[in-house]
Amino acid sequence: MFKLNLKMAWRNLWKNKGFTLINVGGLAIGLASCMLLLLYVAYEWGYDKQFSGYEKTYIVYNNSTTPNEVFTWKWTPGVMAREIREKMPGVAHVSRSSFPEEKLISYGQKTLKKNVVFADTAFLKILDYKFIKGNADKALLDVNTIILTEKTAKILFGNEDPINKTVKLENLEALKVEGVIEDVPLNSTIQFDYLLPWTLLERRDAGVRNSDWGNNFCLTLIQLQDNNRLAQISAEMKGIFKRNDKGTNADAFLHPLTKWHLYSNFENGKSVGGKINQIRIFFTLAFCILLIACVNFMNLSTARSEKRAKEVGVRKAIGSSRYALIGQFMLESMLLSLIGMVLAFILMEMCLPYFNGLLNINLMINYGDWKFWSVFIALTLLTGFIAGSYPAFYLSSFEPLKVLKGAGQKAGRVSLSVREILVVFQFVFAACLIICTTVIYQQLNYIKNKPIGYNKAGLVEIPIQGNLKSESRLALLKDRLLKTGAIANLSYFSMNLNETGHSTFGIGWQGKDPNSAVLFNYRAAGYDFAQTIGTSIVAGRAFLPQFNDSLTLIVNEAAVKTMGLKQPLGAVIRLWHKQMTIIGVIKDFVMESPYQKAAPMVLSYDMAAVRNIVLRLDPSQNISASVNKIDAVIKELNPEFPVDLKFVDAEFSQKFNDEQLLGTLANWFGGFAVFISCLGLLGLALFIAEQRKKEMSIRKVLGASTLNVLTLLNRDFIKLVSIANLIAFPLGYIIINTWLSAYEFRVSISALPFALAIGLSVLIAVLTVSLQSFKVARSNPIDALKYE
Amino acid sequence: MIVLENIEKYYASKGGKSYVLRHVSTAIRSGEFVSIMGPSGAGKSTLLNIIGMLESPTYGDYRFMEENIVTLNERKRIELYRNHIGFVFQAYHLIDEMTVAENIEAPLLYQKIGSSERKSRVADVLDRFNMVAKKDLFPNQLSGGQQQLVGIARAIVAQPTIILADEPTGNLQSAQALQIMELFKQLNEEGITIVQVTHSEVNAAYGTRILHLLDGVIKEDVYL
Repeated sequence: MFKLNLKMAWRNLWKNKGFTLINVGGLAIGLASCMLLLLYVAYEWGYDKQFSGYEKTYIVYNNSTTPNEVFTWKWTPGVMAREIREKMPGVAHVSRSSFPEEKLISYGQKTLKKNVVFADTAFLKILDYKFIKGNADKALLDVNTIILTEKTAKILFGNEDPINKTVKLENLEALKVEGVIEDVPLNSTIQFDYLLPWTLLERRDAGVRNSDWGNNFCLTLIQLQDNNRLAQISAEMKGIFKRNDKGTNADAFLHPLTKWHLYSNFENGKSVGGKINQIRIFFTLAFCILLIACVNFMNLSTARSEKRAKEVGVRKAIGSSRYALIGQFMLESMLLSLIGMVLAFILMEMCLPYFNGLLNINLMINYGDWKFWSVFIALTLLTGFIAGSYPAFYLSSFEPLKVLKGAGQKAGRVSLSVREILVVFQFVFAACLIICTTVIYQQLNYIKNKPIGYNKAGLVEIPIQGNLKSESRLALLKDRLLKTGAIANLSYFSMNLNETGHSTFGIGWQGKDPNSAVLFNYRAAGYDFAQTIGTSIVAGRAFLPQFNDSLTLIVNEAAVKTMGLKQPLGAVIRLWHKQMTIIGVIKDFVMESPYQKAAPMVLSYDMAAVRNIVLRLDPSQNISASVNKIDAVIKELNPEFPVDLKFVDAEFSQKFNDEQLLGTLANWFGGFAVFISCLGLLGLALFIAEQRKKEMSIRKVLGASTLNVLTLLNRDFIKLVSIANLIAFPLGYIIINTWLSAYEFRVSISALPFALAIGLSVLIAVLTVSLQSFKVARSNPIDALKYE
Repeated sequence: MIVLENIEKYYASKGGKSYVLRHVSTAIRSGEFVSIMGPSGAGKSTLLNIIGMLESPTYGDYRFMEENIVTLNERKRIELYRNHIGFVFQAYHLIDEMTVAENIEAPLLYQKIGSSERKSRVADVLDRFNMVAKKDLFPNQLSGGQQQLVGIARAIVAQPTIILADEPTGNLQSAQALQIMELFKQLNEEGITIVQVTHSEVNAAYGTRILHLLDGVIKEDVYL
C-alpha cells in the first residue's frame, strides 16, 4: 500500500513537472531561507554558551544613578573581586579581566599586534577554554607568563613547540609561554588572541595598582556554586559599592552570561533587551518565509484539485476510506518537502559562503550534530504537514458521486475563495517586507548622511606607540609628515574619534545642583584639533602654542547647555580637583552613537594623555599615494611597530553594523518572499488560464482583442494584490513605527515606501500573470474549442 | 439480498418537490442479473446509485444483506464497498496514474490482503481477461473496450457478491459491447449478482430480469 502510494505520488509529480518544479522550487527556497536564518539565530543564541558552567556564570554590572538617568556599565573596580571572594560564600570563582586591546608581541623576528586580555587565574576556571598544551591549573599564576591561542601560537612559532619559549610584549617584557588554548569561538563576547596575568597589568600600571572603589575599569566575572544561591548573592551584591564607598552613587547587579550578548541594552538600570529584538525579527521572518512557501504549495495543490477529484471519487468507490486518502496526499506532500529539503541543502551550501561574507561571520552546517538533524527532520515534517494539510483534507472530502458525475467543477469554484485568501496572505507579507525594508534603508541613509559635526572623509588616525611616545619624536614626525605634502593638518587626541569611554561625574561648576550628577566625556587634544577634524570653534579660541594651556578647557555646546552657562568664556569649572578656565566652545560632534545627541564634553590640552595622531589628508592628493607616504615616514621613525593606519569614516560606518545587517537581511529574504509568492501566483495563473481557455476562446471568436483578454485575466489578480496591499499598509506602518521609535533621530515615514510596495507588487504580479495568460490570449481559439 | 421498500427521492425546487423516484419497492435476490431500463430522466441511475450507496434516498427503507443501510455509518459502508460491491462505470474511471495491474490491484489494497495473494489474484484476473501483455500499460494507452475490461476486472478482483454497472457499454462500439455483455453473463453464471443500467434491449436480453422505470416509478418488472 505504502509502496504503491509512493509510486503513485512519484508518477503524479513526474507527470506534472511544471507544477512540481514550482512547488519544489518554492519549498526549497523557503526552506533554505528558513534554515539559513535559523542557523544564524542559533549562532547568536549560542553566544557565550561554550563553557561548561555557563549557566552559573554572571557578569557584575554597575548602575550609577543620577537624578536624571541611570548609567549602566559592565566595568567595575579592581578591588571588588577580592571582596566577593572573601566575603561571599557560595561563589565558586570570581575573576577580573581587562578590556581587550591590541598590543605588540614578538618572537624572534616575528612581531604582531594582537588583542590581549589581562586576567586572573580564575578567569580560566570560569571560562574553561580547552588547553592544547600546558597546564590549566598553573596558567596565569606567575607574573611573566603568557597564554596563547592556537592561531597566535601558529603565527609566532609555526610548527615549533611554544611551551617555555620566551616572547616579548611591546619589546619590554619577556614572557614565558605557559600554555596554548583553542581559538576563542567567534560567538563569544570576550575576544582575545593571548592572555596575560592580571598581576602583570598591576605591575605595569600604577593606576590599576592603586585603584580603589571609585575606579571602574575591570570586568568582574562570577561563577556560583549553584544557581539556588543567586537570590542571596544578588542581594549581597547590591550594596557592595555603598558598603565600601560611602559617597558613591553606584549599585552592583549580576547579569547572566547567557544573556550577555543578546540582552545588552539597559534603561534605568534594567535590562531592556538588545540584539534579542533583531533575533526575534529574524526568527519570525524565517517561519513566515516557510509559511509562504507552504501556502504556495497549498494553492497549487488545490488548484489541481479537479484533476485529482476523479481519482478521489474512484478510490472512494472501490473502498478507500477518507483516512487512506488523507494519508496518500500527505505522503505526496512529504515527498515534495523531502525533495525540497534536499534541494534546500544544495542551495544552502551554495549560499553559505556568500551569507557569511555578508554577515562577517563563519556559519557552518554541522553535520555531526544531532540537534541540527532533529531540527532538520522536524522542519521537513512540519513543512510537509502544513503544506499538505489543506489539500489533503480538502481533496479527500469530495463526494464520490459528484465528482464522478462531473460536478467537480463546482468544487473548484468554491475553493477559489480559499486560494484567493492564500494569495492575499502571501502578498500581505511581501508588501509588509517591502515597506519595512524601504524604511530601514531610508533610516540608514538618513543617519549616515546626518551631519556629525565634523568632516570624516579623508581623516586618518594612527596610534601613538613605541618610539612615538616620546614628545620630541612626535614633533619630528609632524614636521616630516607635513613636508611630504600628503597631509593638510595634524593633531592629537586621547582616544579614537569613534570610541566611547573616558567619562566622569567629576565636573563641578557654579550654580550646579549639589545633588545632581552629570556625566561628561573628557578628552585631551593637541593643537589644531578643530581644523584637523573639520569642525569649528564657535566662541573663544583653540589651544595655541603661544598660551600656557595647562589649566584651560574647551567645552562643547552640549556642555554649555548642560551647565547653563550664560557666559561660558572665562568661566571657571572644576575637573576633579583642578580648577580650569573655559577658553573656547567647540561645535558638537558625534563620537558615540550617531542615533543620539552629542554628550557634554570637556577638552583639555595634555600631550601626556594623547594616544592617537589625527591626520587630515590633503584632498588634492591621491589617497593611496598619501597613505604610502605616511606609511613610509612612520615606518622609518617607529620601525618596531606596525603603522595601524585607520580611516575614521570606515570606523564610523561600523556603528551601523546592526542596522546594516537588518537592512541587508530584510532585503534578501524579503526578495525571496516576493519571489516565492510570485511562483505561487504563476502557478495559479497557469491554472486559471487553462481553466478559462474555453471562455477566452469564445470571447475571441466574439471579437475580443488580445489586450481585452489580457486585461480580463489580469484584473482578478490585480484586485487580489491591491487588497493585500491595503491590509499590508497599516500592518507595515505599525511594525516599522515600533522599530523606528527606538531611535532618537529618525526619518518620518513618508508615502514612498507604501507607493513602492503597491507599485512593485502589482508590477510583479502583472508580469507574472501576463507571462502565462499572454499565451492563452494569443492562441488560436479553434484549438481550444474543437475538442469540446 | 437487496430489499427496497417505498424508496423516494426528490429535490426541493421552487413551488414544490421534483421527484426522481416514487414508491420504489423491489427485492433483488442473490444470483440475479437485473437490467434497469427506461427513457432519459426516468431515474435509472439514481436507483442504481441508491443501491450502490453512493446516494441516499430521501425516504424509505433499504436493506442490503439484512443490514439497514439508511442508518449505517460511514465505516460500515466502506466495509460493504470493500467486501461486497464492485462498480463498473460508463466512463471506466480508471486511475490514470496507475498501470493496468495496479488499477486492478487497488481494491485489494484496501481489503488489506497480503502481497502474495494480491499478486496471484491479479495474475488470475489478467489471465482470464487475456490482458497479461498489457498489464504495465497506462489506461490512456488502451482502447475504450480494453479500458472497460480493466474496469470490470477491477470490479471482480475483490470477489464481490454484486456488481453494479451504470451503462457499462455506453461508450463502446457494438462488437466490444457484446464482449462485455458475454463477460457479465459468464460472471453471473458463476454466481455474482449483477445490476446494470442500460438503454439497449440487446444488452438487457443477457440478463434474467428487467425493471422498466418511467418517471421514477417501476412500470414493469419482467422475468426473462
